Amino acid sequence: MVELAWISVAELARMIRGKDVSPREVVQAHLERIAALDGTLHAFITVCADAALAAARAAEADLVAGRAVGPLHGVPIGLKDLFETKGILTTAGSRILADHVPMRDATVVERLRAAGAIVLGKLNMHEFAYGAEGWNEAFGDVRNPWDATVARIPGGSSSGSGAAVAAGLCPGALGSDTGGSIRIPSSLCGITGLKPTYGRVSRSGVFPLAWSMDHVGPMARTVADCALMLQAIAGHDPADETTTVLPLPDCVGSLTGEVRGLRVGLLRGFFVDSCLPGVVAAVDGAAKTLETLGARVEPAFLPAAEHVASAFFAILASESLAYHASWFRARGHEYSADVRTRLARGAFVTGMQYVRAQQVRRRVRDEINALFARHDLLLAPTTPIPAPALAQREVELPGGTRNLTVALISLTSVWSFAGFPVCSLPCGFADGLPVGMQLVGRPFDEATVLRAADAYQRSTDWHRRRPPVGG
Amino acid sequence: MPPVSVEAMRQLAALNGFQWTDEDLERLRPAVERVMGLVARLEDLSLDAVEPVVQYRVG
Repeated sequence: MVELAWISVAELARMIRGKDVSPREVVQAHLERIAALDGTLHAFITVCADAALAAARAAEADLVAGRAVGPLHGVPIGLKDLFETKGILTTAGSRILADHVPMRDATVVERLRAAGAIVLGKLNMHEFAYGAEGWNEAFGDVRNPWDATVARIPGGSSSGSGAAVAAGLCPGALGSDTGGSIRIPSSLCGITGLKPTYGRVSRSGVFPLAWSMDHVGPMARTVADCALMLQAIAGHDPADETTTVLPLPDCVGSLTGEVRGLRVGLLRGFFVDSCLPGVVAAVDGAAKTLETLGARVEPAFLPAAEHVASAFFAILASESLAYHASWFRARGHEYSADVRTRLARGAFVTGMQYVRAQQVRRRVRDEINALFARHDLLLAPTTPIPAPALAQREVELPGGTRNLTVALISLTSVWSFAGFPVCSLPCGFADGLPVGMQLVGRPFDEATVLRAADAYQRSTDWHRRRPPVGG
Repeated sequence: MPPVSVEAMRQLAALNGFQWTDEDLERLRPAVERVMGLVARLEDLSLDAVEPVVQYRVG
C-alpha cells in the first residue's frame, strides 16, 4: 500500500479510469499513511475518513456503471483549511473559527469535486495564512518531513499542504499564496507548486488575507499534476469579479517537453545577493539544464524589486487588518501571539502610504513587463535558504543577519504583489534539504511556465526524491 | 526613523478603533518601529506621475 501513496495525481487518475486500482484502495492507502505519520507531522486539522471512503465507493460505482467520469475521478486531494467546505469544519488554522462549519463549498472545491476529486481532509496552515513559517499555536506546528528529527519548518502559510504532499499523505493539495504561501512550502518541502496569474482562479469561499494579492493554486509532486489540477479549478467565476473571462489554454496538452528557443532571463542582483551559496548553485545548475534542453538563458535584472518589501507590507498590513478588524477588536486575545502582532501593525499604516504602495505596484509591474519584451520566462530561487529550524527567528545570509519572515518572502512576494504566474519546483539540495526555483511567466501564460517546468522535470529527478519521514 | 512613543501609538490605534493598553502598546512597539521604518521608505520614491493600481468594476 505504501507505493500507492507515491503515485502522481495524473497516474492515479489514469489507473483508476483503467480499473487498475480502485478509488477505495487509493483512499484507504492514504488514510493509513495519515494514521501512521500525521501524529508526527501535524499536517491535517481534519481528516474526512468516512466521507472520503463513501465518495470512493460512489466513484467506484460510477466506473462499474460506465458513467462518464472527470479528469480527477477518484483521486484524493487535500485542502488547506482556508477553503470553505460544505458540512466540514473550516478553521483557517485559528481558534476564532474553531467551530465554523460552512454551508457551501468554495468555488474551487466545487470544481475539484466536479472533476471527480475526493476531499481527503483539511490541511493545517499558518493562522489565517498570515505567516511564511507554518507555525500554528492552535493545531500544532507542522513539521518538515525532510528533517528526520522533525525539527524544521515546512514553510507557510500552506504548511500542511507542503508537508502532506511531500510525505505522501495526499498526492495533491490546494494552497493559497499572498506573498509566497504556495511557493515557500513547495520549496522547503521539495514539491511543486503553482501560483497562477491573479484573476485566473476564483477566491470565492476562501478566507482572505489581502484581497488584492491573494491567489489560489495547486501543490503536488509534479508539474504535470499541477497542470491537471489547474485545468480543473481555473476559469471565470461570477462570484469573484477579479476572475478573467479569458479561456485557459490546454495546460496539460501544452506539456510537450519542448523548450528549444525559449528565452529565459536568469535573475541576478537582488535575487541572488542574499541567497546562501548552495541555493544559488542549485538554481544556476537548473539554468544550465534548461540551456542543454535548448533554451537561451541570459542574465536579467529587476531593480524595482528593492522597493517591493515596503510596498508589499503596506498593502498586506492594511488589507489584512481591515478584514479582521471586527474579530480583532472583540476577540484579539484568541489570535496566536505572532499573528496578533502582525495584524496590529496594520493600525499604523496610513492611507497615503497604502496609495503610494499601489503606485509602486504599477511601477514594478511595468518593469517586469519590460523584461518580458526580452524574455519568455524568468528564473530565480524561491527562498534564499533551505528549511530552517522550528525555533529559528533570524538567519545568517550573505550581507548580514535577517529576520526569518523577511528572508523567506524576499524572493516570492514580488510575484504575488505584481500578480504574475509562477511555478516553484525542486532543483537540488543544500545541506541535505530541498532547494526550489521559480519560473515566472507573462500574465495568463501559465501554459509556457508549466511547459518549461515540466521539461525540466523530465530531465531531472529532484522531484522524485523521498523524504526521510515517511519515505 | 525616530523612536515611536506609546502615546503616538495609542492615538493612531484609537483612530482605527482599537483601545489597547499601555502594556499591549509597549509590547507592539519594536514591531511597529520596524514597520514604520520599512513603510517610510515609500516616501523617498519619486512616484508623482504614477497612477496607483486600483481594482474597481462598476456594475
